[in-house]
Amino acid sequence: MQNPFRSEAEAFRFLIRTIVYFAVIAVAALISTWLGVAVFVVATSGIVWWLFFRVA
Amino acid sequence: MAAHAGAEHHGPPIANQSSRVDSRVLGMFLFIASEIMLFGAFFTAYFFVRVANGIEWPPEGLHLPVFVAGVNTCILVTSSFTVHWALQSIKRDNRVGMQAGLVLTLALGFVFLLTQAREYSRVGFAPSDGAFGTIFYGLTGLHGAHVFVGLMLLTFATIRAFRGHYSAAHHHGVEIPGIYWHFVDVMWIVVYTTIYIL
Repeated sequence: MQNPFRSEAEAFRFLIRTIVYFAVIAVAALISTWLGVAVFVVATSGIVWWLFFRVA
Repeated sequence: MAAHAGAEHHGPPIANQSSRVDSRVLGMFLFIASEIMLFGAFFTAYFFVRVANGIEWPPEGLHLPVFVAGVNTCILVTSSFTVHWALQSIKRDNRVGMQAGLVLTLALGFVFLLTQAREYSRVGFAPSDGAFGTIFYGLTGLHGAHVFVGLMLLTFATIRAFRGHYSAAHHHGVEIPGIYWHFVDVMWIVVYTTIYIL
């Protein structure tokens, strides 16, 4: 796992990813609370898998 | 004699660098790590009040200015683009682009703070009005303080930019405030989504 703040360019990319992550969860949660929870679980699991298993 | 004079070192000893990471960048990493812990403590209080306590959010009769805060979010995100532009410009030795990017970032940051101050004056509740008010002002105020610190860093970077201090090879003075500014933006996205939207 790499530090997302190791450079300004990386931090900028991390910001964009954060916006997308929270936007998807917020939109899903506004449609239905449980859909928001489901999207949160799926998105977070995907990120954890990508960070710790794919990138390693 | 001349060779001996050339080998002579004046001033404090050169610091030992045992890390692959530049010491200035490492300092900013450690600072950001401590900030994440600080925000984590505030978010823990927020989730405790909201979830474990089971209170309505926001409490009945109170309304959060979601639209104004949304516009403020757009302003802050735009400022991240401008600081990124400033750094990319100086990496290409474009001083005017860097100066314009930094000035725009400063202006957008000040607009964000002014809008937040205006929001506070019209929101209709105070920090002493229960746990909701305390958490709202605590989290948004903590973030506002970080924006203020970021603006101070960017002010110094801007002054130095206009004095011709940066170049394509030496731009740490812009990069490090840029990293901090993006961190502040990331935290705002979390604060805005959890407090205002969800």
